[in-house]
Amino acid sequence: MPGVPTDGGAVGTVVPFSREPGDAVAAPPVRTIRHGVAPPVSRVYVSFSSGNLLQVACLGPPIPEGGGGRGAQEVAVGRVVEVNLGGGGSGPGGADVEEEIDEAEMRRIQYGSVPAFALLQSRKNALADAAAMSRVPSVSEHAEWWQYVLEYSKTIGSLLGNPDSLPAFMIDDPKTILKDREKPTSLKASWELLEIFFVDKQLKSWLPERFVDWLADYDSLLTKTENTVYRTLTNFQKKLINLQIVEDDPDYWNGLAAALSVGWLDIVVNMLRFHGSYQLDQMDNRETENGLVEAVAVLVSTMPRMRPDLPTGKLGHCCKTRPDFIKALEKWRGQVNKLECSAFWIQCGHQKTRDGLKNLLHIMLGNIKNLTAATSHWLELFASHFLYIRPFTVGFEGMNHLAQKCIQLKPSTDNSGLTGLLGGILSENPEVVLAECTKSFGPWMVTHAMELLTADNDYADMMLHEERPNIGGISLEELHRLVYAQVLCSHSLTWQIAPTYLSSCLNQGLGLLEILLLKQPIQDNRLVLKTLEICRLYELGNVSTNIMKIGGIYHWKHGRKGTGVYWFQQAHDKVRLDRIALQLFENIGKSVTDDSFKVLISTLLYALSFV
Amino acid sequence: MADHSSFRRHPHPFSVDLVRWLPTFGSTGRLLAAAVHDPAASSSHIHLLSVSDPSTPLTSLPLPSRATALRCSPSVLAAATTSGSLHLLPSSFDTDSAVSVPSGALFHVGPVRGLDCGGGTGGEEWVTAGEDGRVHVVAGGGDGRVVARRVWEGKGMVGYQAARWASPAEFATGGAGCGVQWWDRRKGDAVVVQCKGIWGHGIVTGMVHSIDIHPSRKHICVVGGSSGTIFAWDLRWPQQPIPLSGVGLDGTAQPVCESEVWEVLFDNYTQSSDIISSASTRILPVMMCSEDGILAVVEQDERPLELLVEPCAINSFDIDPHNPSDVVCALEWESIGVLARGRDTMADE
Repeated sequence: MPGVPTDGGAVGTVVPFSREPGDAVAAPPVRTIRHGVAPPVSRVYVSFSSGNLLQVACLGPPIPEGGGGRGAQEVAVGRVVEVNLGGGGSGPGGADVEEEIDEAEMRRIQYGSVPAFALLQSRKNALADAAAMSRVPSVSEHAEWWQYVLEYSKTIGSLLGNPDSLPAFMIDDPKTILKDREKPTSLKASWELLEIFFVDKQLKSWLPERFVDWLADYDSLLTKTENTVYRTLTNFQKKLINLQIVEDDPDYWNGLAAALSVGWLDIVVNMLRFHGSYQLDQMDNRETENGLVEAVAVLVSTMPRMRPDLPTGKLGHCCKTRPDFIKALEKWRGQVNKLECSAFWIQCGHQKTRDGLKNLLHIMLGNIKNLTAATSHWLELFASHFLYIRPFTVGFEGMNHLAQKCIQLKPSTDNSGLTGLLGGILSENPEVVLAECTKSFGPWMVTHAMELLTADNDYADMMLHEERPNIGGISLEELHRLVYAQVLCSHSLTWQIAPTYLSSCLNQGLGLLEILLLKQPIQDNRLVLKTLEICRLYELGNVSTNIMKIGGIYHWKHGRKGTGVYWFQQAHDKVRLDRIALQLFENIGKSVTDDSFKVLISTLLYALSFV
Repeated sequence: MADHSSFRRHPHPFSVDLVRWLPTFGSTGRLLAAAVHDPAASSSHIHLLSVSDPSTPLTSLPLPSRATALRCSPSVLAAATTSGSLHLLPSSFDTDSAVSVPSGALFHVGPVRGLDCGGGTGGEEWVTAGEDGRVHVVAGGGDGRVVARRVWEGKGMVGYQAARWASPAEFATGGAGCGVQWWDRRKGDAVVVQCKGIWGHGIVTGMVHSIDIHPSRKHICVVGGSSGTIFAWDLRWPQQPIPLSGVGLDGTAQPVCESEVWEVLFDNYTQSSDIISSASTRILPVMMCSEDGILAVVEQDERPLELLVEPCAINSFDIDPHNPSDVVCALEWESIGVLARGRDTMADE
């Protein structure tokens, strides 16, 4: 096995492999191949077939002429062995994805994204053609572009959901805090994050609220080991079944504070109703207490939100414009203050209730200490700033500054791909975004997310499309697409969708497509026909002729003369067909007694006459 | 015109090569048989599936190599493979009582794509035609013994791709570059008529992928092959095949597809749009599936009616004989599609 030449010698040098003791590089695995060819093996040919298959042809010395007098004895003079080198390692998903999504599901996503990708590319080409012809940059068309990308994004986003995991029948237990929904995947979380920040222009004015919604869906994925609001609530839910007096448990109040700080208002109101003072036999004794709890619940449910609408079941008072929101916020804060200063607190008997409710009120007033104590992860603190402290933060610079502050207040060691991704997005660094996608989510994600990054971002557009000499003169976009296409080609179920991606690579794509098609096995006629169909679609006439000729020779040599002739006819291979016709004429002329054999040959000649 | 049809796509892991309706009913409704191949493990199976949930197999029968043909008779399910073996399973789907004819010098060597049931006195004889140029008739099956009789040894001079019984003593075959042949067993197991077929302008010859013969008009075959070619062959005029669809043919409507037509079947559900003068010379509507993802109904001198246009190839389909409005198809991208057609499927305008 050749090692790396140490002095940068000439290309093609074979360098002996020497394993030094104490070498840092581990020895490569050695596989034994059983080929069944009697020694001595005179020649060995090695070549890669489709995907991870290595074909090793072992040939013994040629049998001398006339030595085969025994005829029927089967001695293996040569054998071709296929070695499957695959198994484990780089699949189409990255580290995070492979744990959550199994292979068949990933392939389903890959299949489904092909039509969306192809449509977007054809629209891009149409726009480029129109622009080239008219020579005037069309502003309206460019403005529409983000809508096409949004459509593409929504189509692919819908593939990433997991509708099967939703239980068909859900009996609403009144004591559930967190409803059963479809299990979220980090792939979908990261896709939505990119869509929110890069594509959806309608969202620009209420981006913070949209981020709060995103966090509500995907909080459970932020970290595996550390605490999150979601984990706090699920732990409390487990305890809830056995709790007699809910309001005595500090986890109850912690859960309430946590849910309020990230804006899960419906959960807060629901949980407040678990309070003991609502029970019918307690109502008379704890009237004031109950009144306070109810008052807080009402305040929570009328919190002003800077957004046009809310999904059903969610709480809050929606304000469409800034002046409306400021007015509503002032009024609401005034009500919170009034409650905080009221005299009823003295009459409230239960210490924990008093402290817990006051904590909630301080959160609603935007007290940073309470918010920091209530949240567990810096992303949650980040979201709580949008709700309670700085609801008008728009613009990446402001958000990035805020994010840095939150990271300082709540440093975290276990970072999932999502946190890294968000860091890259907020620091307006497309390189970091792509690097995170590659590391955590794999080549599928990178290839398809590049379209989202370039939707409205000139810098990203330029960075991805400039041709770089250090990678052979191709652009980064093409490089990532080629990597993804290679992953597709390595699996015999997905190689047929690789041409869509290869054809969008302007430099190397077509060349690699030709190589891919020529490497497909020709033993199975159906597969050959599928390969030829791809050749036809991409107008690769010489490739299809070559494949047909190879197929013809294969079938002819293995005794299927009719099929062999058919392939030669399809390839218009006059040379070989003439040679065959000559051979058969001679056969008919010789003393062949078998009438049926004559009939067969004449059938074949009849077929040949249609060249 | 309101479209009442519904199409459901069910993901099914690994390559679904062939799919057929089973004549028996299961506890949850209709049953399907699907030939499935897993390239990573190099294993092939016949799966028994329920229409309501085709993603999970109820039982499965392992095969020695990839299935190349699948056919159901009222009591037996048969599968032929790429190595040349034939496997017969009784309709109770009891995998222990499966009978097989192994590949080899006595049977086939190489893929067997022509497979049909219907010959012989009881209609339970199977014809197999392979790419090695051999044709066999297999009788028995169900009682544990099968006998394969060689009808023809082509010595590789022709490669057969399709076969279909017409009557207990006659069957049709088609192959690569040799057109279609009509065999009559009463005349010494030989080809009595053959036809090159009509392949469209600029195309000399093609590969026949599928043949169907209508049970009530046994002298007419419909043939589907490469380059989107579909033609009908009426034995009363054996050298004048009737083109139904093809690239560059004059006089026919726009070709329904330009790539391989994998399967054709006569469609009982679609009423012929010309009921009044439905003389016996008119070819009945034919359903086809193709490599470019089209499932359509083709009729002579009419515009084809596209039922499905998929982004991936449709490798196989079957019409439910008990309920011809239902069609199941095998899609390239690891899924099975079930199409339930509405009441009116006549072509509009």
